[in-house]
Amino acid sequence: MELLWMIATVLFLYSSLSFLWKAFDCRRNQNCYLLDYVCYKPSDDRKLSTELCSDVIKRNKRLSMPDYKFLLKVVVNSGISEETYGPRSIIEGREESPTLDDCDDEVDDCMHSTLDELFHRTGISPGDVDVLVVNISMFAPAPSLTSRIVNRYKMREDVKTFNLSGMGCSASPIAIDLVNNVFETRKRTLAVVITSESIAPNWYCGTDKSMMLGNCLFRSGGCSFMLTNDPSLKHRAKMRLKCLVRAHSGANDDAYSCAMQNEDTDGRVGFHLSKSLPKVAVRAFTENLQALAPKVLPVGELALYVIRGLRHRLRRSKETKAYAGTAVRVNFKSGVEHFCLHTGGAAVIDAVGSALGLNKYDVEPARMTLHRWGNTSASSLWYVLGYMEAKKRLRRKDRVLMLSFGAGFKCNSCLWEVLRDLEDGGAWEDSIQAYPPQSLVNPFMDKFGWVNEA
Amino acid sequence: MPRAPLPEFSSSVRLKYVKLGYQHLVDNFVTFLSIPVMVAVGLELVRRGPQEIVGLWRALELDVIHILCSVFVIIFVATVYFMSRPRPVYLVEYACFKPPSNCRVPFSTFMEHTRLINSDEKSVQFQMRILERSGLGEETCLPPANHYIPPHPTMEASRAEAQLVIFSAIDDLIRKTGLKPKDIDILVVNCSLFSPTPSLSAMIINKYKLRSNIRSFNLSGMGCSAGLISIDLARDLLQVHPGSNALVISTEIITPNFYAGNQRAMLLPNCLFRMGAAAILLSNRRRDAGRAKYRLVHVVRTHKGADDRAYRCVYEEEDAEGHTGISLSKDLMAIAGEALKSNITTIGPLVLPMSEQLLFFLTLVARKLINPKRKPYIPDFKKAFEHLCIHAGGRAVIDELQKNLELSAEHVEASRMTLHRFGNTSSSSLWYELNYIESKGRMRRGDRVWQIGFGSGFKCNSAVWKCMRTVKTPIDGPWSECIHRYPVHIPEVVKL
Repeated sequence: MELLWMIATVLFLYSSLSFLWKAFDCRRNQNCYLLDYVCYKPSDDRKLSTELCSDVIKRNKRLSMPDYKFLLKVVVNSGISEETYGPRSIIEGREESPTLDDCDDEVDDCMHSTLDELFHRTGISPGDVDVLVVNISMFAPAPSLTSRIVNRYKMREDVKTFNLSGMGCSASPIAIDLVNNVFETRKRTLAVVITSESIAPNWYCGTDKSMMLGNCLFRSGGCSFMLTNDPSLKHRAKMRLKCLVRAHSGANDDAYSCAMQNEDTDGRVGFHLSKSLPKVAVRAFTENLQALAPKVLPVGELALYVIRGLRHRLRRSKETKAYAGTAVRVNFKSGVEHFCLHTGGAAVIDAVGSALGLNKYDVEPARMTLHRWGNTSASSLWYVLGYMEAKKRLRRKDRVLMLSFGAGFKCNSCLWEVLRDLEDGGAWEDSIQAYPPQSLVNPFMDKFGWVNEA
Repeated sequence: MPRAPLPEFSSSVRLKYVKLGYQHLVDNFVTFLSIPVMVAVGLELVRRGPQEIVGLWRALELDVIHILCSVFVIIFVATVYFMSRPRPVYLVEYACFKPPSNCRVPFSTFMEHTRLINSDEKSVQFQMRILERSGLGEETCLPPANHYIPPHPTMEASRAEAQLVIFSAIDDLIRKTGLKPKDIDILVVNCSLFSPTPSLSAMIINKYKLRSNIRSFNLSGMGCSAGLISIDLARDLLQVHPGSNALVISTEIITPNFYAGNQRAMLLPNCLFRMGAAAILLSNRRRDAGRAKYRLVHVVRTHKGADDRAYRCVYEEEDAEGHTGISLSKDLMAIAGEALKSNITTIGPLVLPMSEQLLFFLTLVARKLINPKRKPYIPDFKKAFEHLCIHAGGRAVIDELQKNLELSAEHVEASRMTLHRFGNTSSSSLWYELNYIESKGRMRRGDRVWQIGFGSGFKCNSAVWKCMRTVKTPIDGPWSECIHRYPVHIPEVVKL
């Protein structure tokens, strides 16, 4: 019967079309766009110069002369400038006994100033936010910081809030992962993520050397950014997320305990950084790259890597001495134009840079960020991105790789695609002209250079 | 001559049956509609007789292609329909931490310790009065560090408590389900008041040697309702990743949160919060559907933080002497009631049968248009759920909810008994309550459970589960040794 035939065809066409439409619609909503980001710039009265650092260290009467020398040596050789910021409670002399108000004020200052600017710049009102994520590793009051923001900005009752804590310096990609997953279950969703660190309650006042490094490197900083999966906002977005890889090596005991918040022998809480940290970092880094490379590199480069690997193996089996210790390099620059490396310290940046085969130009943003802002923990990636943008390096279709390490031990990375030429100065606005400086050497080297002797 | 007053319609027996009939009619509307159609078709079939039907079929002249096409279309449409539905999330099994008896804090121990630690007699008396009216029993437990005089709230002790409660719960879960740690794809941990670096999720990954590509999240500071926030997050993750399972850990670490001051509003948590943890295994794998206990139907989150009063009602702050503690405001009950109302407004349409929704809608219209003074209709949530698990925050919370939702004593029994046996274990209390219902042999296949959590923020979160298989007693869990003694009568005031 012709009629039945026709009905069957019509039904078939209708189902296949609606199926295809659904698949296409799903794909449209699976993109994660970065609308904008705002890095925190504290007020100038919070600048922590080397001299001020030295005063703070001297206030700790428990330290002996060798301890003092060690600390000052770290500060002077850290690659950190005189322009980094510290919390008010430390500058005002309350580092040994910060009050809850001090901690709240430090965090509020960062969150409120960045969020106010973010909402102002994007023109989006707080009432439109559907998902709110805060990650501040070492401060988690009750009610949570997300509730603090919901209260201040009068957000909706059905806003989905998530307060991540304890996840270390690599928590930024974790927050993005969370938002990305929520995006895949809902359409037209807007998310705001705030990433920062709390320094005030975590200043170490004891004498354990492994815990004093944190005092020398960590500085105040933070970032708020807005993500969406709404395709209608694509034209306003700065970047699009292409892939995200998380590697957790916590199963290994060394990895778990290499960066740990603990009490010292006197009962004072501090952040212990062990000597095995570089080795652990390398292992986590390798794991992450193994998963990241196939997603990021073009097929040609991957094929070349396989060929090089085989050739290397053959050569190694023939001439063991010459090739022992060398590894086959993958050229990440074939798949990525810009590298946002976590500013864990000068040594970390150099090590990661050489492992990826990067030159001075590629690691400059990370080095300069460390110099200007210090190690701002999870938000450091965004300051590095800000440097690149202020230097007008980010062009349409460029790919940006964010790579960070953190306690656990985790190595997390995410790849972004730039959607349009970016030119905002952001937090670097007033200082970008002075970068890169002629010399990164600490100006107090003359005054405190004696710590490097003996 | 004055007329006799009209009889009370609402209490009339006849009206009750009318209401029952109305409910059945509206709830099964589609069935009622299809009955006459089915009857007509059936009669027609019988009238025509089998011979004529076969003849009709032959007359259609269907050949193989037509039949194949029709079958293909039906299968295709059915597949598209099933594929586009959200993945079901199953609760395979869960395990609650059973505190060891050497951690017990009977009233006498608590009062003795309080007297030795706290020199202010008024504070001691206040805490005694709280304990008398708290609804707690003699078997609640505090962590080992809190048994010291004064308590030893070091980071090491806090980690030790975390390891004790969390690892016991996970070991129990592994034993019950045969779960291999390397199989876990997602890990969500929520612990409000203790957040070390590396996180508790990293601690679990380290202990059980979980995979390096695990998706772990550590939520902190989110209060007593954080357990359902974790479930919500796990659900979202399971929607995105097929063939995965998720381990959710809900706990509260008591050690670092002992309040050493004298501010009354901040002494309450000392009296009510007790040790507890729950480990929950969720999965979206089809093969787990057979052995799963529950299926997650809805999760609804409500955040009242925009209102300053609600935001401040559970607040961590320092008192005049610099001691940190959690201050509970006097408005707590009223705010909890409001938060619940907001949550119900969202969850109502999702779970209530049509009859209740229609009534609610009609009375709402009547109030708005005809008579604003008319009492609002409170939907009968008992129609939508067989079991309720209300966060055992304290006796007052349970009383307030019982009044608000017009619940019977049996509905709130699980909450009251959990408060009595385990105290306020924060986010894990909902799981102890569920375990109580199962231990009592009340959980049957098809039963729907409503879990309601309240917490700082102020948040009210709900989860609705559907039971997939009857849970047979006796079950192995925290109630196994004492369930025969429950329910107990909890007096208003226990004289100390």
